[in-house]
Amino acid sequence: MEHPILFISLILELLGLPVPHTPIGHTFLEKLCAPYMTYTWMVMAFLIIVPKLTLGKMEMIPGSGQNFWEVTIGGLMGACTDTLGEKGAKMLFPMLATFFFYIVVSNLIGVIPGFLSPTSSLNITLAMTLIVWVTHHFLGFKYHGLKYYKHFMGPSKVLAPFMFIIELISNFARLISLSMRLFGNIFAKEVLLTVLFMLAGAYFAPLPILALGVLVSVIQGVVFVMLAMIYCAGAMEEAH
Amino acid sequence: MADERREMFRQLVLYSHVGMSFVFSILIGFGLGWVLDHKVFSGKTAPYLTFVFFAFGIVAGFKTLWTLTKQISND
Repeated sequence: MEHPILFISLILELLGLPVPHTPIGHTFLEKLCAPYMTYTWMVMAFLIIVPKLTLGKMEMIPGSGQNFWEVTIGGLMGACTDTLGEKGAKMLFPMLATFFFYIVVSNLIGVIPGFLSPTSSLNITLAMTLIVWVTHHFLGFKYHGLKYYKHFMGPSKVLAPFMFIIELISNFARLISLSMRLFGNIFAKEVLLTVLFMLAGAYFAPLPILALGVLVSVIQGVVFVMLAMIYCAGAMEEAH
Repeated sequence: MADERREMFRQLVLYSHVGMSFVFSILIGFGLGWVLDHKVFSGKTAPYLTFVFFAFGIVAGFKTLWTLTKQISND
């Protein structure tokens, strides 16, 4: 499905770069110029530049910019500490907070015409989920050594082989449900907005969906990070 | 107050996760069985492994429910 107007793609086309018309291009340069890639870079630039501009010099009595960041970071850190404990929160907070801001910003720009949510591509959500998935298993091995396999074996020895298969399946289900949820929500929002703009854009038909889109964007970001936290906490605690 | 709300939100996230992981467990179980049947054993064991792994998938779905209820009753 073609998005109406994507301004980065337009600029790139004016510069003579090949912008693919399929979601993912064929050549390397086309892959780099795919809308999902260019908008991901835009979000990255946004996340690097805007905090620098709004934060400025840290002060004892915070201005409005510093206040905003203190509240968001403080809230996130509090939620992290609740689930992971003091030490785990300090270790994992950089990764989780990055995910949170990246997901929320890239969800929210999809509401503005001319922008595209990078998270409406399964490639990007799956990549993020894979990072979380590998991290939580790595943490399991780090905290328990090779005894981590006990997490997969269940309580009794007789049932262990069956439990192993079952745990394996539910682990892969985590991978898919986490990525599909984010992708599905955002992609549905994008498609719905496109269709409503085409059908009745002049009569403000997309407005309620835009309002819902803001809500869904923030909620999905929080849910992703919260589940990542819960998985990491599950891998770090003792086997039952 | 803030703690209460955060706890509520955490549980909401956990509950909202149940449906999806249940469905995907079953689908993954079925898919695994199908691949084993048709790709690994090239149709010799079809359709038995599909059924067996389908059952595993259902059990895995219930297992996630079970661990969730245990987690909630612990809190």
